[in-house]
Amino acid sequence: MITKTAWKNVWRNKVRSFVVIASVAVGIFAGTFSVAVMEGAIAQRLDDALNHEVAHIQITHAGFRANNDLTCLLEDAGEMAEKIRSLEEVEAVSYRLVVTGMANTASKSSGIIINGIDAEREKQVLGLDKILKKGSGSYLEKEASGNRAYIGEDLAKNLNIIRFTLTDAIVDSLMAKGVPAETAEKLQPLAGSRFRNEKSFRKKMESVFTREEQKKYGPLISEISRSFRKNARLALTFVDYHNYHTGGMFRINGLYDLTNNMFESTQVFVHYDDLARLTGIPPGQGHLIMVRLIDVDQTEPVTSQLKELFPGTEVMNWKQIQPDLAMMEGMARMMYGFFMVIILAALAFGIVNTMLMVVLERTKELGMLAAIGMNKKRVFRMILTESVFLSGVGGVFGMIISKIVISLTARQGINLSGYKEGFEAMGFTSHIYPHIGNDFFILVTILIILTGILAAIYPALKALKLDPADALRTE
Amino acid sequence: MKVLELKNVHKVYNTTQVEVHAVNSVTLDFDQGEFAAIVGPSGSGKTTLLNMIGGLDKPSQGQILVNGTDLTRLKSSELIDFRLYNIGFVFQSYNLIPVLTAKENVEFIMNLQKWPREKRDRRTRELLEAVGLADRMNSRPAQMSGGQQQRVAVARALASKPKFILADEPTANLDTRSTENLLDIMETLNKNENMTFIFATHDPRVMKKAHRVITLEDGKVIEDRKKQ
Repeated sequence: MITKTAWKNVWRNKVRSFVVIASVAVGIFAGTFSVAVMEGAIAQRLDDALNHEVAHIQITHAGFRANNDLTCLLEDAGEMAEKIRSLEEVEAVSYRLVVTGMANTASKSSGIIINGIDAEREKQVLGLDKILKKGSGSYLEKEASGNRAYIGEDLAKNLNIIRFTLTDAIVDSLMAKGVPAETAEKLQPLAGSRFRNEKSFRKKMESVFTREEQKKYGPLISEISRSFRKNARLALTFVDYHNYHTGGMFRINGLYDLTNNMFESTQVFVHYDDLARLTGIPPGQGHLIMVRLIDVDQTEPVTSQLKELFPGTEVMNWKQIQPDLAMMEGMARMMYGFFMVIILAALAFGIVNTMLMVVLERTKELGMLAAIGMNKKRVFRMILTESVFLSGVGGVFGMIISKIVISLTARQGINLSGYKEGFEAMGFTSHIYPHIGNDFFILVTILIILTGILAAIYPALKALKLDPADALRTE
Repeated sequence: MKVLELKNVHKVYNTTQVEVHAVNSVTLDFDQGEFAAIVGPSGSGKTTLLNMIGGLDKPSQGQILVNGTDLTRLKSSELIDFRLYNIGFVFQSYNLIPVLTAKENVEFIMNLQKWPREKRDRRTRELLEAVGLADRMNSRPAQMSGGQQQRVAVARALASKPKFILADEPTANLDTRSTENLLDIMETLNKNENMTFIFATHDPRVMKKAHRVITLEDGKVIEDRKKQ
């Protein structure tokens, strides 16, 4: 009866209740959707890191990470890899040579880390073939002759391997992609122009387009105008096993594209055999063993197992290698909860205000209820229930709207390419697919109920303080 | 059998300058089934006396015994429960819960007393029929006239079979026809259910119907007249 009366009381003043319900719904939607965007971005970052950058577990010689010494080798890396592969939790294993060096083109040079990999094995461990940039060549194929390198798009930009070329075809393709003719046609006089680097290309674009056009179509024009010289050559220099300077010319087989700019601009992949030959390291040895597990949740136990299996080596899992990612994963849920608590705390003040008005308006009625024998516990419960209904109805609407909007935006993703560089500098993608787990909705539901209860406590206590005889005298 | 006894009841309000004796040395008793009116001019202490009888206010001195239980010794939480099971109230301005239907208003107290559904439904129907509102069961207070609302209030007060019913100016907002109708119903219920009614009123129509008229002036009982 108390629940039924509380529910009916919510609809006494429809406009006022609607305002409160709408504000809770909007607050919940805004909070949930923001969390879904953050969660989507973090999930993609974790996915990139685990599937294309660090894998789940890495094993090195005990002194390798600290000294970055080429001679700190796992001499039986091949055998170790075989042993690890036989563990039931393990999906794939590869071993690498890792050498610090320089990448040089005719006009630029850049400090890099050269990874000598078994191309086929690395496909299974890190799916490096899956991050190949479309139209930029191919992953490290075995049949290609000579030294071959697979480098990040950002490194290619830094080394001026990517150029910007404007042609009539590009103008047509821009129009086909929805750029207004009057904007695209501004490029017509520039057809045939080539720019050596992004800076000079951008400078030109700034002189041609308005700021508005730049903002809206700049990333697309830049993307379409990029041209990569297939089989461009790159000189890689480094020191060999005997501490002599050495190096080799490598043809770029293809470019990979990740969301992590730092990784892209420093990590170069070459064939293991090529790097072993150039550094003088005997086959079967490696600096780094990469392990991919079937289930990421098995990371900790398998790390301990590998530590026992290979004493004297350094076994580190992804959480230890990239503590920022581990923190992001661990703290994300706490941050989301905190974020929702702040939103709901703000909404709670609105509910407190409404419930205070409710108590004030119904002073006489509350006096009558006390007079006829409704005890304080029941009065308290009635006001609490009414408040929980108010926040609950708003919360349910908010969550329904969130669920719909998240599933709609998750299909196409949210394209924030205008901020691509900023996102990628932090290792995040600018094309975010919002995502939220159902457990988050459970958390939100609990928070909504708590908000309703907490917001009602002060008004309910006010109601309890009413003297029935005085309350009955009010008009 | 005495259902209510007031022994030397005083109520003094301490204002900043003077003490006001709202009720002054009142001693009364009421038998089961009485139909009594406490009358007197405004400010004579009728409502204060009724509030004390109903356990809504505590006397400064004296005892109020309901079936032997001294209300002045009960704690505020005990008084609420006592009212729930022993006293029915009818107010001047009906005081029904506006969001509930006539049926829901009548069964409210039975719900608080956790009556089983079947028993509750039977009693509600019986009472609404007795006050002539069986056809308005699902109407909300706003859809009923003042007289009808007050009849629902009477049905609500009677619902859980209290020891007595206190009615503070129940006819003050009603027209003559509604008043007569209401008083007839109350009188019938008094007879049929042997229910004790105590009114605080200055309405001559109520005084005329009442079987006992207690007149208050300046907080004192100046006349206690029983009609034959």
